[in-house]
Amino acid sequence: MIYTSCLVAKDGDALRAPGPGTIADFSPDSTKMADEKKTQSDKTPPPDLKTERDRFVKSFSRGARLTDEFIAEYDGLLERLSALEAENANLRAQVAADRAVRELVQKIERLEAEKSDLLSRTNRAEAISNQFTTRVQEVESEFSNLANLYVASNQLHSSLSPRGVTRRIKEVLAQLLGAERYSMYLANEGGTELVPIASEGVPGGELQPVAVQGSLLGAVLQSGEAKVEEEGDPSQGQLDRPAAVIPLVVDERIVGVIAIFSTLAQKKRFDAVDFELFRLLGQQAAAALVSASLFAQADRRLPGLEAFLDLSV
Amino acid sequence: MSEYSCLIVEDSPMMRQLLVFALARVKNLRVTEADDGVDGLRKLASARYDIIVTDINMPIMDGLKLVKRVRSDPVHKDTPIVIITTEGSQEDRQRALQLGANAYITKPIQAPQVIATVKELLRID
Repeated sequence: MIYTSCLVAKDGDALRAPGPGTIADFSPDSTKMADEKKTQSDKTPPPDLKTERDRFVKSFSRGARLTDEFIAEYDGLLERLSALEAENANLRAQVAADRAVRELVQKIERLEAEKSDLLSRTNRAEAISNQFTTRVQEVESEFSNLANLYVASNQLHSSLSPRGVTRRIKEVLAQLLGAERYSMYLANEGGTELVPIASEGVPGGELQPVAVQGSLLGAVLQSGEAKVEEEGDPSQGQLDRPAAVIPLVVDERIVGVIAIFSTLAQKKRFDAVDFELFRLLGQQAAAALVSASLFAQADRRLPGLEAFLDLSV
Repeated sequence: MSEYSCLIVEDSPMMRQLLVFALARVKNLRVTEADDGVDGLRKLASARYDIIVTDINMPIMDGLKLVKRVRSDPVHKDTPIVIITTEGSQEDRQRALQLGANAYITKPIQAPQVIATVKELLRID
């Protein structure tokens, strides 16, 4: 717009410029005369000037229009540039955001891999720990079993009186095996009958010698093989259906049996260590009892040194 | 690391031996043995114990009377007590617990169970 105004002013000047003598003549009279003359000449410009003026005006108008168009286009281009710059900024931001997202995704993938690795290592460590815990439990259980066997053996041989040995056999049965009703039998000289020598929880009237032939206790005496109720509940055993019958051995001879008729209510089954205790009782109980009896018969006198002189190997 | 002391009150030498064997597996636990309730009270009067493991069925003074006496003793009134007995019934368990016992183990005892019970009451890892 500014350009246009300037050009209009110039245009006015230009309209007057072509008149001869109009520049140097400045006196009032001459001015007046010039004005009159000018008015006259304005009204009727010379044809050549008019043509030139029209051409000029036309050319100028075209220039002005072109300038306007140029300015409008320029303004449009400026707006377009501004929009493009904004779009560019958005795209840059988008690209930056995309890059950040890509980096984040990569970071997440890395972390996921690390997590997976850590989980895998944790699982391996847990498995090892569980194995270790299980092993420790097994060792502790084994230790407990060995302690039971050691204590039983130690107790069986810690007395040299038949009564003391019998009491300890009963303790092993009650305390370690959880037996509630039981009886220990020894075979008579002829081996035809099993005679009860100690018992617990069985009424005296029901405790009678048992014939070897045709009885369960006799069968164990003859076979030398223990009979243990492995499937049923040993606490539900009966006098005629004992939970366990163990042969008693002295010097490879079967001299009697221990019958566990039933266990304590909380003892619902025999464990592996119980079978070890059966074996230990079978091999050591009668031997300890025989040793104690012989020691008692010898009036608790220890044998002299001569009794051991022939033992050298 | 703290050292703990345990009093075992049991008339059966075999059970005492078993309990000593089992409790030897607990680190820093010193074990003292008493033959019956009276012997137990005598030992409690002469030293302070962190835990008491006692049988119920004993001559002279049984485990339930011992629990009662311990709970009225100002020195050991808060000492944890583990009862060991052949009695597996709920009634006996309740009786012992009402008198102030903290835990109840039935015979035949299992060493891991004794160890776990003592460790739990002493709060040992």
